[in-house]
Amino acid sequence: MNDHLSNDLLVDFVHGELPPELDAAAHVHLAGCAACREDFELEATLTEALRAAAKAEEREMPSLVNAAVWDRIRSARPGPMARVAAWLRPAYALPLAAAIVAGGFFASPLAHPSAPKIDASYYLEAHAADTSATPLSERSSALVLETSMITTAPSSPSTLRANGGVAATGAVDGVH
Amino acid sequence: MGCTSFLRAAATFVAVFACAGAASADSQPDDPAALLRESLLAPQTVSYVGQIETVRFSSNRAIATIVKIEHRAPGLTRRWYVAPQELYGDYIITRGHATYQYDTTNSKVTISHAPEIDDQVAASGNFEHVLANYRALYDGTETVADRPTVSIVLINKYTGERAMRAWIDRDTNLVLKKEEYHAGGAIASQTRFEEIRYTGSIPDAIFSTDTPSHYTEVAGAHLMSPSLDLDRTIKDAGFSPYRPHDLPQGFILIGADVADLNGVRTLHLLYSDGLRSISLFENAANAAADFGTMRPKTTHFEGHPAEYIEDGPTTLLTWKEHGLSFALVGDQLLPELVEIAQSVVP
Repeated sequence: MNDHLSNDLLVDFVHGELPPELDAAAHVHLAGCAACREDFELEATLTEALRAAAKAEEREMPSLVNAAVWDRIRSARPGPMARVAAWLRPAYALPLAAAIVAGGFFASPLAHPSAPKIDASYYLEAHAADTSATPLSERSSALVLETSMITTAPSSPSTLRANGGVAATGAVDGVH
Repeated sequence: MGCTSFLRAAATFVAVFACAGAASADSQPDDPAALLRESLLAPQTVSYVGQIETVRFSSNRAIATIVKIEHRAPGLTRRWYVAPQELYGDYIITRGHATYQYDTTNSKVTISHAPEIDDQVAASGNFEHVLANYRALYDGTETVADRPTVSIVLINKYTGERAMRAWIDRDTNLVLKKEEYHAGGAIASQTRFEEIRYTGSIPDAIFSTDTPSHYTEVAGAHLMSPSLDLDRTIKDAGFSPYRPHDLPQGFILIGADVADLNGVRTLHLLYSDGLRSISLFENAANAAADFGTMRPKTTHFEGHPAEYIEDGPTTLLTWKEHGLSFALVGDQLLPELVEIAQSVVP
């Protein structure tokens, strides 16, 4: 590099923006060229002055604004796809797959070959039916239908009725 | 005797007679227990139409049911649901020991049969059990559904707590209103006629049990009388059951039966003090309760978890212990039922 450094080249050199080969050539040229070195010193001084001025003008954001920004950042939730992608990372995917397989096994009849269940409404209805002979009992046939109503209140009427399959006659009619 | 004297004497006679009649009408029954016994048999001789409201209380909520009722003595009854909305239009017809439950939403009729026992004999025998544990006391007069009634209260002989109060029609002996109470006095349920009219002119069609053409007929339970042969029932169960050792005073075993539920032999022990009942179910097949859409809550006693639900005043408590699955049902609040449950497996 025999010619003097252009102003653009010098500015990029000061800011470390040149590619390595040009940066090295500019460095060698400045070592042997007093004129360019003088321009370099001027550019460096100017850059330092601008940086100092910018730093002097720098202002902190108000603390409440900072807090609000961080709050928004922390509460921001990834979209559905991002969440799915996160679970597909190997660090999660393998343990997750193992857990699904294990859960499926333990929930299947293979793990519990003899664990039947008894409908809880049976207990209520059988109790109601067998106590219907008790004098003055509320357990008349009418009330057996209502037996499941409180316990299954959030469910649909069809569920209520499905549970009300057992009925028994009461000892007396009227209010009994 | 002059005319004036005659009229005065006649007026005095009428007044005295009227006062005597009024005193008789207001007088309390000589034997409250006998009146209560008569009330049990009243539906076998009294026919009526009316509307009944029932409110059943859980620990944290209440649910009301309103039914229109037609009853023709001795054994025909039709109940038609007005409320709640989920049951609106459904109706139940009782003919003796058979019950036909019409689900109008799903076009289904469920037919069930109760044990064919002599109601009168059974009621009489069971009523003696009531009187063994409860004292019947006169509790005043009141008008219910525009009818004059006599109120009888049943007091537990061991705790002194009021367990039930019944308002009995002074003319027909029909119970027109009834309240049941938990131990401690909290109300468990209230049932009362909002209106009633006595009549025998109820058309046969009201009690028709013909299945509508588009309805599905479903066989309900064919209930058997609980057996008192405990040894035989336990043998049928096929395992060694536990029994509660700490029941409230007055409770005795009144029956037991074994049911086969999805291949699970389930033993049912029924205890009663005449008025209240407690059922203990147990199986040795590790078969837990399936609460379906119910929302059971969890409690703990003796170091293990248990699940429970409240169905009006009735509580169902289930747990596993010593290789058996238990379910305890009774019209008791949870603390009482837990106390009983703790005594099942000492």
